[in-house]
Amino acid sequence: MFKSSGWERVMEIFNNILLLLIAITMLFPFLYIFSVSFSSVSDVLNSDFLLWPKEWVTDAYSYILGSDQFIRSLWVTVYVTVVGTFVNLVFTSTMAYSLTRNIIGQRLILFLVLFTILFSAGMIPTYIIVKETGLLNSLWALIIPVAISPFNLIIMTQFFKGIPEELTEAAIIDGANDIQIFTKVILPLSKPALAAFGLFYAVGHWNSYFSGVLYLNDPAKWPIQVILRQIVIVNEPNAALGGHAAMLEALPPPETVQMAAILLATLPILIVYPFLQKHFAKGVMLGSVKG
Amino acid sequence: MKNKHLLVGFLLLFLSFMLVACTDENSDEKDSTDKGNETAGEKAPNAQIDPFDHSEKYTITGMTFRFGDPPPLKSPGLDMINERFNVDYKPEIIPQGDYVEKSSAIVASGSMPDLVGFQAGDTRFYQWAEDGAFLPLDDYLAHYATLGNIPDYIYNSFKVNGKVYGIPRYSNPYPVTPIIRKDWLDKLGMEVPTNYEELEKVAIAFTKEDPDGNGKADTYGVAIGENINPSFNMGTYWDFNAWYHQNDDGDFIPGIISDGRKDLVQFFANLYKEGAMTKDFAVLDWASTNNEFYSGKAGVFVGGVSGMSQEYFDGLLSINPDAKLVAIPPFEAPDKSKGFTMGSGNSGILALNANLAEDEGKIYRALELVDFGKTYFPAEEKNPQNADFDFYLGKEGTGYNMENGLPVQVPTFSSEGLSPSTYFLDNREQVPEDAKITYADSYTLPELKEMTASLQEMFETSELYVDPSHGVLSPTNQEKGTDLFQFLINEQSKMIAGQRPISDWDALVKEYLAKGGEAIIKETNEGIKSKGYTERQWK
Repeated sequence: MFKSSGWERVMEIFNNILLLLIAITMLFPFLYIFSVSFSSVSDVLNSDFLLWPKEWVTDAYSYILGSDQFIRSLWVTVYVTVVGTFVNLVFTSTMAYSLTRNIIGQRLILFLVLFTILFSAGMIPTYIIVKETGLLNSLWALIIPVAISPFNLIIMTQFFKGIPEELTEAAIIDGANDIQIFTKVILPLSKPALAAFGLFYAVGHWNSYFSGVLYLNDPAKWPIQVILRQIVIVNEPNAALGGHAAMLEALPPPETVQMAAILLATLPILIVYPFLQKHFAKGVMLGSVKG
Repeated sequence: MKNKHLLVGFLLLFLSFMLVACTDENSDEKDSTDKGNETAGEKAPNAQIDPFDHSEKYTITGMTFRFGDPPPLKSPGLDMINERFNVDYKPEIIPQGDYVEKSSAIVASGSMPDLVGFQAGDTRFYQWAEDGAFLPLDDYLAHYATLGNIPDYIYNSFKVNGKVYGIPRYSNPYPVTPIIRKDWLDKLGMEVPTNYEELEKVAIAFTKEDPDGNGKADTYGVAIGENINPSFNMGTYWDFNAWYHQNDDGDFIPGIISDGRKDLVQFFANLYKEGAMTKDFAVLDWASTNNEFYSGKAGVFVGGVSGMSQEYFDGLLSINPDAKLVAIPPFEAPDKSKGFTMGSGNSGILALNANLAEDEGKIYRALELVDFGKTYFPAEEKNPQNADFDFYLGKEGTGYNMENGLPVQVPTFSSEGLSPSTYFLDNREQVPEDAKITYADSYTLPELKEMTASLQEMFETSELYVDPSHGVLSPTNQEKGTDLFQFLINEQSKMIAGQRPISDWDALVKEYLAKGGEAIIKETNEGIKSKGYTERQWK
């Protein structure tokens, strides 16, 4: 019965409608953020529009872009993302590659890496290390402590192991040393893997905010997510205080400003995403099947 | 096989290292704080030193929270402070939302700054003071014009073991209390309610009788958010936070388990059934709760004499241009008492690191800095003719301008660090007890001025209850208080939403007492008695 073409067509139409509905629900929050950011404060308070601004107002954007803080923090984030991802890829791939070679203590090192996945040190010990190494209040504090993600490292090791041994052997016969094998044979073959991990890392850097608050004292060095949090997240008053006057201090700027800030902070990574997405999807499968 | 042995061996080694490391650190910390305590306690202030001698330059560090954006680390304002006080001042100002975590990390890493700020209700202040991390200030305060004149009862409210370990951040004594839409009352021909039955009627009328006259059923009575906040107590009798009610032994009990609170929960349950309060109150955050009211949906909310947001109020006026808000005066309670609860007198505390005890001169300089930041300038002295005030705001023409006889700060006074004021960890002026202030003066919106005036008049013509539990420490409360509070709030929220019958009240109280409430009440009452507070006091 299911083989009849009529049924198939019904199923197809049904599937398409279902997927379309799901896609719309995914788009809805973005459209909402977009519309609110371009509406006037009173329209938003009044709920006087449905998914499309009643009248177009750019007050929220001129408020945010009026101070150089937002733009400056956007540059900080771009810097951290670009430099940080580069550092990530260099350190992760070199370490992953050396772990595929037969070196002394290889298993021990791998165990140490695994150990940090299960038991990480937590906020305060990490803070102390950052402080004692003199990284406090430097953008490197957002890059070096997260230079290698153990999880990504292990997946990349698996990926390198999947590259046929014969290629390496051939290179050795041609007189290549380890560094040449790595840069001339392994890396060119690993471009999709590097793109995928690069994206993982880049998104991580773009979205990270807490290390910014924790390690940077100078507001001029704050990445965009810290500023965004300042604008959007409500400073929740301590309810146990009851009718304390401090309750009234904790109010954020109008919703239009919040939404405009969210849009501006999401837009850059949103634009980059579609171009890298094909690698992203490929990356999920990395290391899952050994050649 | 060999590998496995290696692994196990390594793991053991690792664990033992970890243990050694941990114990070492702990004992170290204890040692140093103990020492700090001794030196701090033994050394009396040296009469030889002139507190205001600026010949030596000191580096003074500090950290505190800020609700807005912190100022930059280098700026003209900071230079002005360094020059005037001959210091190298390094304040670290941290966004309020991240303050507890970040300041804990800083302190745990062994670098507590010279000055440490705490928000109101932050129990770490008491714990660290007991551990000897802070300097007792009792002998120093008298030197300073502002610090020396803060009334004793305010210092008393956060003493630890009989000593003053901090400087209070000013808070006016008037609490945040309910306000109501007078224009809606007038429209429906109703009066400002004088008891909970009337308030219930009003709230239901606001829900069902279209008080804004737009022909739509888009209004309701009381705006309320998560944690049953605001609490809408119409007097101390119903205040969940005050220790007013007494049990059969004559001990004070927390308001949240009192009969007054039970009545209030019943009142909310009635409103909830009628749709006369915020439906999704259990999950609504503070900003959204404000939005419910300032978008003209709800007719009853809370307000205070200071700290009101003109921006939000403006939003309300753009929707309902006729909006008029008035204070609801306290209701008479079943025991004939009438009046709200007085505030604790501080909205935060600034403590000094115990290590400062090693250098008396530095203590004096740090306190001078704190003292200046809290200076109160009466309205007639807020102008460039007062040199201190001119300095505080960063000189006329740079940090502020005079408009219509009033100082108006330039928009970038903090983001570019133009005013020294933004760098003082505690930059709330400490209003003297006898100062005559008209709170309405700090606003420009006429409607907001009117509301503030109505609140001030109400407070000045009624009495405020002095909560005996202020400044009383209960170890059990420090350990379990927050969890127990959340437990009670959650259960009471269920009662309001009709998911748990209010007849369960006694069982709930029993459970609270068994989970640690009993100990909290015992310890708190011991503290209250040792303060000499026996009869309920009203001021």
